[in-house]
Amino acid sequence: MPASLGEHLRRRREELRASDPRYSVRQVAARVGLEPSYLSKIERGEQPPPSEESIRALAKDLREDPDVLLAMAGKISGDLQRIILKRPQLVAELLRDLKNLPDHAVLRLVREVRDGNW
Amino acid sequence: MIGLADDALCFSFAEVHPGARLRIEFQRTLRIPDDYRDYPLPPGLGCFPLRHTDDFAARVPRHWLEHGGVMLPMYQAEALWLNLTGEDLEDRDSSYPFAIRVATGKVDAVTGKAWVNGLEDDPQNYLVSPTQPWLDGYCVQRGVIRQFVAMPLGRGYSVEEQATGRAEHGGIQIQVFPMKREAFERRFPVRSRVRRRFDRMVFSKELQCGGPSAAMGLAPGGRMRQEIYGDPFELEDWDLTRTSRCFVHLVNSAMWKAMTGELPPTTPPSAADYSRAGLPWFDYYDESAKPADGSAVLRGLKSVFRLGEEKGDHSPGENEGAFTPRVVNLRRGLRPGQVREGGF
Repeated sequence: MPASLGEHLRRRREELRASDPRYSVRQVAARVGLEPSYLSKIERGEQPPPSEESIRALAKDLREDPDVLLAMAGKISGDLQRIILKRPQLVAELLRDLKNLPDHAVLRLVREVRDGNW
Repeated sequence: MIGLADDALCFSFAEVHPGARLRIEFQRTLRIPDDYRDYPLPPGLGCFPLRHTDDFAARVPRHWLEHGGVMLPMYQAEALWLNLTGEDLEDRDSSYPFAIRVATGKVDAVTGKAWVNGLEDDPQNYLVSPTQPWLDGYCVQRGVIRQFVAMPLGRGYSVEEQATGRAEHGGIQIQVFPMKREAFERRFPVRSRVRRRFDRMVFSKELQCGGPSAAMGLAPGGRMRQEIYGDPFELEDWDLTRTSRCFVHLVNSAMWKAMTGELPPTTPPSAADYSRAGLPWFDYYDESAKPADGSAVLRGLKSVFRLGEEKGDHSPGENEGAFTPRVVNLRRGLRPGQVREGGF
């Protein structure tokens, strides 16, 4: 089972802290604008994940991918929500179809510029 | 295949080599004066927006859908240049080489001949990346080009109309051929790490709209010093069996919003204002490359300003000469930090 967001954040922060003391709970919390006790509870899974904005700030500070952290928090970033809302059925179908494809096949899905007759 | 990324055409030939990737940007720039002087290279002011023609099927002319490809907005008498960048290959002395054909209104921009698919070497009808870092216009004589300048199709200015008498195609046509894998491995064996890259700064500009009419074609503008380099490889080094091509439609900026719902970029500054602001022009040297002769056909065409004067048409706009006291010299093998950008 994949790690929860809290566990993941703690592990990543501790990893960085091993070589840089600025990655204490207190200092990370200060940089991303959260209360240290709140961040500590998030890490222990005692609080639900914070807002998208806070997750993005944490991702930036911990040099993690914001989309990965948002997915772990069970959230979909605002820009993706807008993409889905534009064509909800089509995007849902597409994602279901992609479910079992290997990464290299998904990477081939970049849209091609169509060449016609000229 | 060709994809769109960050307003650039991205050609990739993964079946030939994983690093066989070429990025072509259409850079906004100022129009150089058309006053018989040979100007240095003007700056890049950021990319024109590029969109899939298919996405606006209901609002574009039907024959554009037949062409497929992409579209970008240009104001009347606005200029552009093509920025050709191969992907860095850390273990080779060169990015993957490509032969690139460029035509406007299906008239070859290098030879002035009518478009036919494929490569020819006498006269050479293609550019070679990475030897040629950019293309600013029509090759009219050795070391001199006339700038690509957009004019509404049907008004007689475009190279297509001057050369063929017809306003049929407009736009820009691009075809790319990768080097054969075997030739690449032989010419550029795996070596120490060499990085060749140049940074691109993109200027975001305030947006506005203005001007009339729809499809645009490119016409010859002022004269500029730029060499079109001969092919340093052999014609048989190019893989003619694998090629990608793209039709780039030029939409009058005044119609861009109606077609796409997006605002086009603003008009660039005049060359005179740009120079007065103390901003730089550029020259590029590659002593090791052999410049190609210009095309007699293209040399015989009339420039936008000259033709405007003959027709008594003032729509090409102002043509104030510019002094160019600040010229930045760039040399072959552009390094990170070597840019061709000016602010305004």
